Amino acid sequence: MANDYILRMQGVTKRFPGVTALENVDLELRAGEVLALMGENGAGKSTLMKILGGAQPPDEGSLHIDGHPVEFRHVSDSRRHGIVLVHQELMMASNLDVAGNIFLGSEPSRGGVLRRGVMRANSESLLRRVGLTCSPATLVGSLTPGQMQMVEIAKALSLKARILILDEPTSSLTLTESEQLFKIIDDLRRDGIAIIYISHRMEEVMRLADRVIVLRDGKRVGELQRDQITQDKIVSMMVGRELTNWYPPLRPRQDYPTILRVENLIVPGSPCAVSFDAGAGEIIGFSGLVGSGRTELMQAIFGVTPPLGGTIHVDGAIFNPTCPRAAINHGIYLAPEDRKHNGLVLAMSIAQNISMPDIHNYRPRFWLGRRRETVVARKQLESLRIKASGVGQRVGSLSGGNQQKVVLGKWLAMRPRILILDEPTRGVDVGAKAEIYREMMLLAQQGITILMVSSEMEEVLGMSDRIVVMRERRIEGILPRSQATQERIASLMTGAGNLDIRTGV
Amino acid sequence: MRRELGIFFAVLVMCGFLFWCNHDFGKAANILNVSRQAAMLGIFAIGSSFVIITGGIDLSVGAIIGLTGVLIAKISSPSEHCLHHPLWVGISIAMAVALSIGLIQGLLISKLKLQPFIVTLAGMLLVRGLAQIITHGGTLGLGTSPLINLSTEGLFHYGYHAILAYPVLIFIGVILLAGYLLHGTVFGRYVFAIGGNRDAAQYSGIPVDRVETLTYVISAGLAGVAGICYASYIGQMTYNVGNGYELNAIAAAVIGGVSLRGGEGSVPGAIIGSIMMEVIQNGIILFKWVYYTAGQRHVFRLSSNWTYFITGAVILLAVLIDQLANILNKRKRLKRQAHIAASKQPPPAPLASS
Repeated sequence: MANDYILRMQGVTKRFPGVTALENVDLELRAGEVLALMGENGAGKSTLMKILGGAQPPDEGSLHIDGHPVEFRHVSDSRRHGIVLVHQELMMASNLDVAGNIFLGSEPSRGGVLRRGVMRANSESLLRRVGLTCSPATLVGSLTPGQMQMVEIAKALSLKARILILDEPTSSLTLTESEQLFKIIDDLRRDGIAIIYISHRMEEVMRLADRVIVLRDGKRVGELQRDQITQDKIVSMMVGRELTNWYPPLRPRQDYPTILRVENLIVPGSPCAVSFDAGAGEIIGFSGLVGSGRTELMQAIFGVTPPLGGTIHVDGAIFNPTCPRAAINHGIYLAPEDRKHNGLVLAMSIAQNISMPDIHNYRPRFWLGRRRETVVARKQLESLRIKASGVGQRVGSLSGGNQQKVVLGKWLAMRPRILILDEPTRGVDVGAKAEIYREMMLLAQQGITILMVSSEMEEVLGMSDRIVVMRERRIEGILPRSQATQERIASLMTGAGNLDIRTGV
Repeated sequence: MRRELGIFFAVLVMCGFLFWCNHDFGKAANILNVSRQAAMLGIFAIGSSFVIITGGIDLSVGAIIGLTGVLIAKISSPSEHCLHHPLWVGISIAMAVALSIGLIQGLLISKLKLQPFIVTLAGMLLVRGLAQIITHGGTLGLGTSPLINLSTEGLFHYGYHAILAYPVLIFIGVILLAGYLLHGTVFGRYVFAIGGNRDAAQYSGIPVDRVETLTYVISAGLAGVAGICYASYIGQMTYNVGNGYELNAIAAAVIGGVSLRGGEGSVPGAIIGSIMMEVIQNGIILFKWVYYTAGQRHVFRLSSNWTYFITGAVILLAVLIDQLANILNKRKRLKRQAHIAASKQPPPAPLASS
């Protein structure tokens, strides 16, 4: 039995500064098998697949293909062994036609001249294999996301893939398109191609998988054979860990006076309106899978992408978020998910970043308030315990946790009323995490409302007074902490939830 | 300031070398001439720097320099085919036109999100074309207009020469104002923030569009001021005056440490870059090398045909040295980080039984 594995990964470990992304993970794969790889966001799935795809070398561990040890230093190394990764975000040149994309990087040529005839003929047979009826000369930009997915798979087949990795392949597909994809996966399985299938959607895993491997916190926590797979088992494996003790003690449930009321807000690109409210001093956690629309909702409230309809009341008065400045003037601040792109100017100093939204209010009016800037920044540096050589240090040279604290400090220096934290602890080490949680609790006690978007289940459960669960850009349910469990949230956000808890409290 | 200081010493070394080769370099007339040239370039190079620091580019400055001169000549010159209005009318109208061009370009770029390169390229052609239409493709002389004196007159005389020519005085004024604006005000901070990370600036509530538009107005306005100086210096305006100057401004800014990626640069840098550009031009004319073969004295001189070649080489050299320094710094930093990481191995996980 052991000899028919075409792929074995043993003891794979990968460390990043401050985090261990993978710890001693084993994975094995047989020909003609669909292996579902599951786990929460950040459980290590994508890191494991990057190692398999040759994009990152492991720190420890070994890879065997057909029983022979191999070492991948580059994507082309793993390609040579027939391993092809189809990314979640499709990587296609939309200005080229289907045939051009299928053979991108491996164009058939003679003496540098493209052999279009060969390309076209080969594409046609590949397209037939994935059930696409369009011509190889169709521009990829004019295809639907579902068709593009098929072209990606055709491309993988053209590379003579033996091991196909599909990362959330259905995230942008319609139901019928997904169904067609499943049929093709069945065909490929019959042809002896091994498939690693990454998905959060239970029904797909139930429908496709021969075997499930669950990762949690970079460790392999379990394996289920086809006849053992049940939703409950998977969910409990994915989330089944004790809440660690760095969360502050539970606060008694209070009646917070409502400060923020969002009614029928239409976020651009959303299928329906959303409503919720928040009290002064309340912490509301927003749970959901990647792409469930939480970040977009927060950006609408902050005015980055102004909402298309609905109303927001702050302290009883209507607030219209036309731009970030409008939100900032109402005391609504957003610490974005992507610090490096939206939160910080990495080339500037800590002090310059902290003063950025408020410096026009510093006196004297017509001269940069450098002294005030330093004083304000120093205060934040101390109260948030930012580890830096001084307020003049460039933000780009700080660690992730300290960068996040600078983003926080920028807003805390301006006395927030409502603070939106989008993934406040992503890429932050454990010590800094605990300090950020402590800071959040202090703020809540001062009556500041916190809307926290987080993909970490235990963070949401550990910090929130109420939990808003979102799925496919809708609010699926609002749970008070007393009624929230990991299983309930997980089943709501994957769409396996019961109707009775969708109504919320 | 590392970059600025480096270039500053490079300029000093260059000047010393040129003086050693040819003592004419140190003559009052030459020094005053170079300083006047550097001042006129510096005025609009500083303007361009504002735009470049936000991450944009302004290709229209050369054309605006030309149009300003042409407009002043057309409106105020006492010569034929001109309108004989007082000088202040001509200058006011020319400046108003320059500022409006900057405003329109800025609004197109910030509000409609058009690419700066394309907008200012089209702007350059439009403005140059306008100058050509006004001059009918010919020449407009300033004649006996008092503007002629602007470039030659000045304060404190040394023999026949003014030690501080008016262009130099204007340059000093521009330096003080621009230096204050870029390094001393909230507006300047915003300029750097937008160039450093546009999205973060927007998320911080900075009025990104307004600040960006203003940088194009500043760039065009300073090009207008430079245009007045050049008109006075040249005296005979053709539509071709200022052709290609936008590239000189970009070169001066880049030599002085302004990064085309945005977010980096300074007024002192733009000043030193401008001086460097003019010293190179001057040096190519004055450079001579005396050598003897078989007791015969020879003098080697550079043909002025080498100007572009050498300017290109100097620009490349400046960015090359800077990039090499960056790469070395980065390597050093990575090594240090790796060293720290290696010394902080995570503690072994506790046993399950304990």
